[in-house]
Amino acid sequence: MAMAAIDTSFLNDSSGLAKEEAPAHSQMGLRLGDLQTLAMAPVASPSTFCVDMKASGEAPGLMDFKHGTTTLGFVFQGGIIIAVDSRASMGSYIGSQTVKKVIEINDFLLGTMAGGAADCSYWERHLAQMCRMYELRHKERISVAAASKLLCNIFFNYRGRGLSCGTMVAGWDKHGPSLYMVDDRGDRFKGQRFSVGSGSTFAYGVLDTGYKYDLSVEDAVELGRRAIYHATHRDGASGGVVRVYHVHEKGWTKVIAGEDVNELHYMYAAQKGMTGIE
Amino acid sequence: MLTATGSCLPLAVYFGVAVAPPLRPGSVSFSSSSSPSCPSSPGRASDFWLEVRVASGLPSALAAVLRVAADHLQQPSGMSFLSRSEYDRGVNTFSPEGRLFQVEYAIEAIKLGSTAIGIRTKEGVVLVVEKRLTSPLIDPSTIEKIYEIDEHMGCAMSGLTADARTLIDHARVEAQGHWFTYNERMPVESNVHSIADLALDFADNKGKKRVMSRPFGVALLVGGYDPTDGPVLFNTDPSGTFTKYQAASIGSAQEGSTNLLQEQYNKDMTLKEAETLALTTLRSVMEEKLNAVNIEVAAIPATTKKFRIYPKEELEEIIKQLPAPTLPTLQSAAAGAS
Repeated sequence: MAMAAIDTSFLNDSSGLAKEEAPAHSQMGLRLGDLQTLAMAPVASPSTFCVDMKASGEAPGLMDFKHGTTTLGFVFQGGIIIAVDSRASMGSYIGSQTVKKVIEINDFLLGTMAGGAADCSYWERHLAQMCRMYELRHKERISVAAASKLLCNIFFNYRGRGLSCGTMVAGWDKHGPSLYMVDDRGDRFKGQRFSVGSGSTFAYGVLDTGYKYDLSVEDAVELGRRAIYHATHRDGASGGVVRVYHVHEKGWTKVIAGEDVNELHYMYAAQKGMTGIE
Repeated sequence: MLTATGSCLPLAVYFGVAVAPPLRPGSVSFSSSSSPSCPSSPGRASDFWLEVRVASGLPSALAAVLRVAADHLQQPSGMSFLSRSEYDRGVNTFSPEGRLFQVEYAIEAIKLGSTAIGIRTKEGVVLVVEKRLTSPLIDPSTIEKIYEIDEHMGCAMSGLTADARTLIDHARVEAQGHWFTYNERMPVESNVHSIADLALDFADNKGKKRVMSRPFGVALLVGGYDPTDGPVLFNTDPSGTFTKYQAASIGSAQEGSTNLLQEQYNKDMTLKEAETLALTTLRSVMEEKLNAVNIEVAAIPATTKKFRIYPKEELEEIIKQLPAPTLPTLQSAAAGAS
């Protein structure tokens, strides 16, 4: 697999790029019309180009995506809480503090984004489109399991081609609430607690400490907010504001539209009798 | 625009008495063989003429003269029979008179379908269709003639249900594709445009895979709330023509119900009044007694901008409140035609 050198001269002339058909399964039999095709490198094995380049050692850092984000979700007695930060970073540069990392797929489904913002928002909007077609064709809302599987299948079809997505799909269907974690490797896990992104380890610490299934909605929202705040405090790639959504039987509601983490810092410090600047 | 041949009303008006339209002897074409445009059922304007013809007992010589005249009217060029049998086979070959017979026959197919009515008001659009339950063993819920295209638009169909499903699925995909690309609800006219494009995308030339090898035998009444134009109603047919209407009707009782709509529509109607007009019109052209099971009703009110199919309970309530029929159906239909 590993090649000593790959001819990358085509990078100076993009007209040599080959168009590749969208993977056969990416439409999942949904007949969504022509999917955009990807421009592929004119090398012997275009679909493994990214992986081969990385193995060749010529492009250090390739595919090492910085998931500069903290997102979390957990299932509790009142449904599901989704909490996210709002920072977009490009290495040490903060591109934005007001990103919306929760994608509203429909009235009963939410997706979160971590990793490449474009990859996540593109494919989750694509997912929204597929879920809507499912609804129109079957006169029934799609299950969370099926929706997450659609996304997971897309990621699997594009595996190794450089997508960067760590997403959670949360929703309420006729089986009740469910939460899935889906990522660009084609992994898909169903679970009670997830956190994704560079700040996830910090968020997990707070989440696992404070979590129990019987949490009231109010306490659950507070747990989500606190976990995101702590992650933004210790992780430089996370920050901005905390946004919290609650998924329940009637769909989802936005509980916290955006609360500045700096204000939360002083608020939590004050709760401990501290000033927050020590 | 392509117009259908074999239409009975123009002839009837021309002669003052009725002439059953497809009288050409020996003709084997679709519209002539079983007079599909005038299905023999009571209560339709066309049948009224048919009955008058029989009742008046025209002498056969006179009938023959009328027959020739009728042929002449239908085929102005006079070279009807030969050209027709030669040029009605290919879906993409013009006849010397400049007609596409297969497309015209597809339009005829719609006249075999059940009646659908759409009315647009400032307050929204209402769509009403007749469901023909040909057997008491049919589960009425599986006969669907009104479909949602997206949350702000839907359509009623008449003609071949299977063809309609292809067109509507296409319309739904287009609506979602528009949302994906532009992050807004698709303008109704753009969507109808995409349906009309597909309607003519038949025949398999140059090896390109087509959805259909023949024209779609279906007409749609597409109603919706347009982001800029407000409530709108469109009619599409197999020729790929689409037209905006205030009130329109398709299907077997198209002529009779269009006349009734022309008489009674006014642009300042409320949505409720439009709903009543659509239902009374449908009632007067239906063979069966109208009830909550053999019709479908949907509306897109300007207040919610959301397409909604009425549930059965609501239909029962609305039917209960309908005004009693004022005129015998046959009379009103005849009055509308003369």
